[in-house]
Amino acid sequence: MVRNIFSRRAFLSSALSAGAALTLPYPQGSALAQSRRETLRHVTGGAINTLDPTMLGSTRESFGLSMNVYDRLMTFGSRPIGAFATFDPAHLQGELAESCEISADQRRLTLHLRDNAVWHDGTPVMAEDIKWSLDRCVSANSLARPQFSSGSLTTPDQFRIAGERTIEISLPKPDRLAMANLAMPYAIMVNSRLARQHATSDDPWAQQWLQHNTAAGGAFRVENFRPGVNVTLTRHNGWHSGAPPFFQRIISQTVPEATTRAGLIEREDADIVIDLEAYDIMALSRRGKVHIDSVVESNCFTHLAFNTQSAPFDNVLVRRAIALALPYQDLFAASIFGRGKPLYGADWSERSPAPDFPQPLPFSQNVQKAREMLMKAGHPDGFHTTFSYATSQTTTAEPMAALIQEALGHIGITVRIDKLPDAQFNTMQARRQLDFYTDTAAGWIEHAYYFFYLYFTRDQRWNFSNWNSPQMVELVEKARFETDEAAYVAECQGMLDLLVDQVPLILLWQPNMDAVTVPDLTGFTYQYYRQVDFRTLARS
Amino acid sequence: MSAEKHLLPPLVRRIGLRLGAALPALFCVILFTFIMMRVLPGDPAVYFASGPNAGQAEIQELRHKMGLDAPMPVQFLHYLENLVTGDLGRSLTTGQSVARDMQERLPASLELTLTALALSLLISLPLGLTAAWWSGSKYDQFVRAFCSACFCIPPFVSGILLVYVCYYWLGLAPDPTGRINIFLPQPPRLTGLLLIDSALAGDWTAWHEAAGQLVLPATTMALFVIAPLTRMTRAAVISVLGADYIRTARAMGLPTWRIMIVYTLRNALMPVLTTVGIVFSTMMGANVLVEKIFSWPGVASYALDALVSSDYAPVQGFILLMACLFILVNLVIDLLLGVLDPRVSVE
Repeated sequence: MVRNIFSRRAFLSSALSAGAALTLPYPQGSALAQSRRETLRHVTGGAINTLDPTMLGSTRESFGLSMNVYDRLMTFGSRPIGAFATFDPAHLQGELAESCEISADQRRLTLHLRDNAVWHDGTPVMAEDIKWSLDRCVSANSLARPQFSSGSLTTPDQFRIAGERTIEISLPKPDRLAMANLAMPYAIMVNSRLARQHATSDDPWAQQWLQHNTAAGGAFRVENFRPGVNVTLTRHNGWHSGAPPFFQRIISQTVPEATTRAGLIEREDADIVIDLEAYDIMALSRRGKVHIDSVVESNCFTHLAFNTQSAPFDNVLVRRAIALALPYQDLFAASIFGRGKPLYGADWSERSPAPDFPQPLPFSQNVQKAREMLMKAGHPDGFHTTFSYATSQTTTAEPMAALIQEALGHIGITVRIDKLPDAQFNTMQARRQLDFYTDTAAGWIEHAYYFFYLYFTRDQRWNFSNWNSPQMVELVEKARFETDEAAYVAECQGMLDLLVDQVPLILLWQPNMDAVTVPDLTGFTYQYYRQVDFRTLARS
Repeated sequence: MSAEKHLLPPLVRRIGLRLGAALPALFCVILFTFIMMRVLPGDPAVYFASGPNAGQAEIQELRHKMGLDAPMPVQFLHYLENLVTGDLGRSLTTGQSVARDMQERLPASLELTLTALALSLLISLPLGLTAAWWSGSKYDQFVRAFCSACFCIPPFVSGILLVYVCYYWLGLAPDPTGRINIFLPQPPRLTGLLLIDSALAGDWTAWHEAAGQLVLPATTMALFVIAPLTRMTRAAVISVLGADYIRTARAMGLPTWRIMIVYTLRNALMPVLTTVGIVFSTMMGANVLVEKIFSWPGVASYALDALVSSDYAPVQGFILLMACLFILVNLVIDLLLGVLDPRVSVE
């Protein structure tokens, strides 16, 4: 009994002293080991979940990271806009390949690798590595396979080693996207000797190992990777596929709260962020302590989609009526504060449009005509429908939904607004259970035909409006293998005309990307994969 | 010596019984979360096979890879089979096994919660004790108002406010992102608790940094639980103050501090300790917002991210972990109560 009381006392007093020990002193001026000037700190709301961008389920942030860590054979050039730059879809150049020859029949590509190209471990880049990497893209079960098929790259026998540092790619038909596909985030070139050591019979392409490790040769190597928390990169000094990067060290960190990210930049604790909320950007630009590069996301479009296979939106007149009833200007102002480029209100009466997509289409508001159109469609008293959007889009989609509800109310259509959690929204979208909704899409290859192929044909999730138009399919198939430039332009114009006539979806605008940086950071480049390219950034 | 021999076996038996009794509850938790996740709308395969050009074939492939194309009872049996071998499944959000993610993130949550709990106890025990001692006075009223104010402000408001004032405005606190200054190397991992790891490694810079990062989130969490702890302490102390032994102690002329600390507080600690158990379990699961605001790499924000993207395995793993923690904490509290008051263990 005595013993028991003693232990009770001992416990109580030790608990007290433990409590005292936990009193927290504040850190005094800490000496940071690394030179801050040569370190870039990037903060993002997203998360990097894999080092291999081809993994099913990899996030957009993972694509962005891999562009800095892995080299591709090809890359898009860039062109300056004011103080910063944007990728140039018209100018494809070599990255790991020094030069590229195309045969006269456009069915054979010969790529010559850089002589001085080395992997991160210092071993030279050989044609067999490239062959293995390309084989991996078309053979392994990954996101690369469907992407490569859009460039007619489907089987390993299309890739042939034609010399120590030469690789030959043969195509069944001349395909205008074959070359561009070699520049895509999925087309990573892997150090095959290293990767093969970690391949197993179940996993011949080392997909498991490459999720958390790299076998790369890009501008930066991965020093430390904590999925969903942060990644640290260091410069690869043996990289010669482009101008040597300024930064010695990159830290890319996940900071979920947008307001915290804004605060970090304003206090210069972080150097760059590209995913802030519009209201934070407005406030930041008013206070003027940070530098903001705004660029229209040229390969991106926000739209309203209909399910064209179910009533009432299977009726083209209903779709036209809605396109006439929308208050485009108000939507643009309320939803994204006018920070972007409108994709409506074009005037095509005098000249036919350039064969580009996305571009402004000739839609504008005319409520009287909308009413008449709805009458003609057989809905003189309107109808009930549901407008849906995903929770992650709330800041832009909520004001949009309210305005649409009001505007369609004027022509007798009653709209119920349905805000859905992202997972549920995506599932319903893929299963064609959404009648009328908004979403934003970004295509990686800025060819009009590619956008139409991706977003307006076939039974797949990205055919947003579930559109089934034999005419469109025919045009797309023709344009894909078209070698005559004039015919290609005509086909693209045909697609645009069909889109305007049938209104499977309504284009709204292209949002801006706002890169918010500390004042001394220069060299921001907008990339089609909508992530930060660390290689071009520098401190002045 | 002989006392120990008699004491130990019942203690072990008691722990064993308690853990055994928890097994059916654990099974129910597993079954319930399993069904819940599958009843919720949202197909993880669609969410994750969402790269450009990923069509129905990729979605089907992913469903097959995740075993989602099997009937539900079969899926459940597979899940149980894996659980027995310690495999909690893979997270699609981080691409890692859930067990590894938990192992990495649980210490972060534990460190934060324990610090917050210690902080709130340091504040609420003296507050409750003194408020009870001078109950009915102006001071008592003030403590009551203070508690109400703390309880009324939800953590996401107080958190953002603290960040705004202490970091953004005054620049006193380090940037509210994570557990340690991002530019510093992490101390070698032993326990995963940075304060302990850095102390063991003798790296006092890291210790100071880690402690500094803890101040704001721990304060945010502590503010919210000060009210229940203080109120509980006050009520318990008031009931003890009326006891015969306190009157005797006063009549004997013992010093006030001795009556307060040794005779009153100790005897009043029982209900407080029970509340601490409940508060701790709640804090572990409910600090999602605090973790989000301070970019804290803990288990709660991990589970929330997974829930948003319909990623089954991490959510199931998280709830299972919380259930186990709850059971453990209750067990520990029970044993502690026995230390505080031997009469409890006799029962």
